Amino acid sequence: MLRTCFAAIFSLRSMSLDRPPDQQAVGSEETENVLQLPATARAADIALDELELVYAFIYARVGNRADAEDLTQQVAMKAIPRLREGSPASAIRGYLFATARSVLGGFWSTRLGLSEAELHEDLAMAMPHAPPSEARADAVQAILAQLSDNYRRVLELRFLHGYSLKEVAADMNSTVGAVKVMQLRALRAAAKVQVEL
Amino acid sequence: MSKPENRVDKIVSDLLKGRRLKLRGADAEEKAAITAAARLAAARQGGPQRMNPAFRKQLEQALESAPKEPWMTRRAALVAGFGLAAGAVAGGLLGRATEPAHTAPVQGGDPINPKQGQWVDVAALSDLVEGQGKRVTAGGVGAYVFRSGETVTAVTSICSHLPCELLWNQADGALDCTCHPASFNADGTSTNHTYPLPSLNKVYARVTAAGRVEVLGTA
Repeated sequence: MLRTCFAAIFSLRSMSLDRPPDQQAVGSEETENVLQLPATARAADIALDELELVYAFIYARVGNRADAEDLTQQVAMKAIPRLREGSPASAIRGYLFATARSVLGGFWSTRLGLSEAELHEDLAMAMPHAPPSEARADAVQAILAQLSDNYRRVLELRFLHGYSLKEVAADMNSTVGAVKVMQLRALRAAAKVQVEL
Repeated sequence: MSKPENRVDKIVSDLLKGRRLKLRGADAEEKAAITAAARLAAARQGGPQRMNPAFRKQLEQALESAPKEPWMTRRAALVAGFGLAAGAVAGGLLGRATEPAHTAPVQGGDPINPKQGQWVDVAALSDLVEGQGKRVTAGGVGAYVFRSGETVTAVTSICSHLPCELLWNQADGALDCTCHPASFNADGTSTNHTYPLPSLNKVYARVTAAGRVEVLGTA
């Protein structure tokens, strides 16, 4: 998008600069076109596109839309007014993700009553350098693949297929109580698998 | 205290229904399992999630209405910040970018003056505790009233940013928005000085000779 934006600006600019001086004078309509390039709207679009990545990143960690929206909004409000002049897009992204990290840290520490230091220590809150990608679904499969058959099955049925506990119990010839315990143990085990989501 | 497997299943069930994470301090014991559950619940949706169009629009509007920093307008920050400055300056666009299109001062706080408004009895002065907000309704006007000695002041119960109900947070002595992280002092001003939101609309309030609190609302 950024590239497109630059391309649009420079192509329009070169159109007017390449023109002989006499035609440039006449070409007020053309100049008007250059001036009317909606740069601010585009910049806002770019900001929103970056925030899309932030949203996906946060959503992947909180697993629900309402919290993801709240946290994304916090990131936007904290980061946008502070963007420094002339920062390259990569730095902007870095800043937004650093803010997202801090906001997420605050979210978990407030909800769980833990210091952020404890969170960082225990939950491997490290952020990826790259934005979330399509590879995330594969990463989940990679986590599940490292679990024992029963643990993998219970999490697959519950999370990926949306089964109720009762349905999982029926599928696995078990009881609801036993599935509940297995689900907890499977989640604990999944948390220990070191795969970057 | 509920068993950990029951508690974690409650959280899992909420996540699978698309609900918020409602956690308590005691859940810290199972933080690893809970964060793993949140990640798995997110993965359930397939690839990276995109914002809901309505939320994106709302965010866009929030960005547009964001107050300018004293040293640079937000719009200029957006333009400059996203590397468009070079092209913009040369193309004479920065001037446009910094036009005061959204420079409305972040004041707000105008009083609510309903047409055919009428004074509505909402409480006894003795019911109000100093330093504590009380939610009252005067017809179509929702307000928080605050007592200061023998006088009262009132502000609207609706956030100045997103039109959501505010809740009185006794611990912080502030009105918290239920829809997003924003809060306001009893006088209606934003608690966030870095990113101040417009002040809450004031609501006319008075104390009668009989010691009753009245708010200017609607029938």
